[in-house]
Amino acid sequence: MRHHRIAGWSLLDSPLHRRDARAKLLATLLFLLALALAPQSSALAAVPFALVLLAALFFARLPLLPLLLRSASVLPFSIVFALIEWASGHGPHGGALLAKSYVSALAVLLLAASTPMPSLLHAMESLGVPRAFVLIAQSLFRYLFVIAEVAQRMRLASLCRGGTSPLRPSAGFRASAGSLAVLFARSQQRAHGIHMAMLSRGFHGSLPLAVRPRFRPSDAGFLAAACALGAALYLSVTLR
Amino acid sequence: MTPVIEVRDLYYSYEDGAQALSGINLTVGTGETVALLGANGSGKTTLLLHLNGLLTGRGTVLIGGVPLTPSSAQRLRAKVGVVFQDSDDQLFLPTVLEDVAFGPLNQGHPPAEALRRARAALLSTGLAGIDDRAPYHLSAGEKRRVALAGVLAMEPDILILDEPTTYLDPPAQRNLARLLLALPQPKLIATHDVRFAAAVAHRAVFLAAGKIAAQGTVEDLAKQYDWDWASFSPRP
Repeated sequence: MRHHRIAGWSLLDSPLHRRDARAKLLATLLFLLALALAPQSSALAAVPFALVLLAALFFARLPLLPLLLRSASVLPFSIVFALIEWASGHGPHGGALLAKSYVSALAVLLLAASTPMPSLLHAMESLGVPRAFVLIAQSLFRYLFVIAEVAQRMRLASLCRGGTSPLRPSAGFRASAGSLAVLFARSQQRAHGIHMAMLSRGFHGSLPLAVRPRFRPSDAGFLAAACALGAALYLSVTLR
Repeated sequence: MTPVIEVRDLYYSYEDGAQALSGINLTVGTGETVALLGANGSGKTTLLLHLNGLLTGRGTVLIGGVPLTPSSAQRLRAKVGVVFQDSDDQLFLPTVLEDVAFGPLNQGHPPAEALRRARAALLSTGLAGIDDRAPYHLSAGEKRRVALAGVLAMEPDILILDEPTTYLDPPAQRNLARLLLALPQPKLIATHDVRFAAAVAHRAVFLAAGKIAAQGTVEDLAKQYDWDWASFSPRP
């Protein structure tokens, strides 16, 4: 089975991949904060932020085009709000909104593609995110793979018998809707199996940590540099 | 032989009313390996899930003489290690080592001890050196062994295996048989593979329509139920 590419990218080795997840998570939050506080007057305000992310993508040895394309998945949502801004006479604001949302999505993807999900979840927990939330995110991550696997199996089964992917709209609304129902039922069954297997190994509602990551001086240095960079970015677009 | 698993008059029906188990009586003794044979849908997996309280039917299940009840299930699960039919169900953490350490951590062992147990279990299943790999990127045979390591790391008193040879090639099946023979725990193994069952089990139980239809040696039951290839005419 083919698995999610972002999970695969997160296991690569690069200077960014080697940084502690807590440092990267905090740096991303600071970056997003600086981006959110940047002036709304023009889409150009997001350009310095985008350039920083492109440099980080380069250092992380991540594939540029797939990540840039995936970041565009946020656009359908932000276009709606940009259109509302435009219709109410604030065209430049709409452009800034689009640019900021795209750059934000790219920043989050960069974090996900350079940090294995468990490290990210551990980081969230050690930074005070409620354990229940972390547990839900962990389960969601596992079950996303379950749904993806079941969908892949259904697709292969259909292709092997000369059909098309049953979940595509081109298969027709009726076929797609029916396949979605089957996908849900199968995924639910599979998730139940996973839950049973977890219970049989003593799971009682919390995921204990086997390995506690160390926060090295280099991670502190990375975080300090990220703080300085965030401040510089904010000031560069605000004082212009 | 002291009984470690005792099942008395166990009945279970699914929510749709389908009767899965009908009056099962079964005993597994210390050091004994029992093969659970039977057709698809005969109730093998359902019976196994009762042995660590994942399903609860009408009747009595005793583990080491202790009745399995909702209140004792959590404690007894540490004693009864279940290796599931589909390894993908069992493996859910991002790295092999973390997944294998999941059980010991749930048992309350400190991380260092959980990792030591996990590494020892991986070594015993021939999987040293794959600690940091993602379980879902392994081959089916490796996944099966990681799933077994995840249970062995809990150092259970009893091992339950559901179709352990599924997806395994013959050399991997032989390796699994060797590994199981070397493990001292009593085992209950649901399988369709008569040769594997004959290699590892002292005796067999044949399940049909939720009932124990016969007990005996694997070879005798295989003959009685035409469960091997002996009666098959080879290609002319």
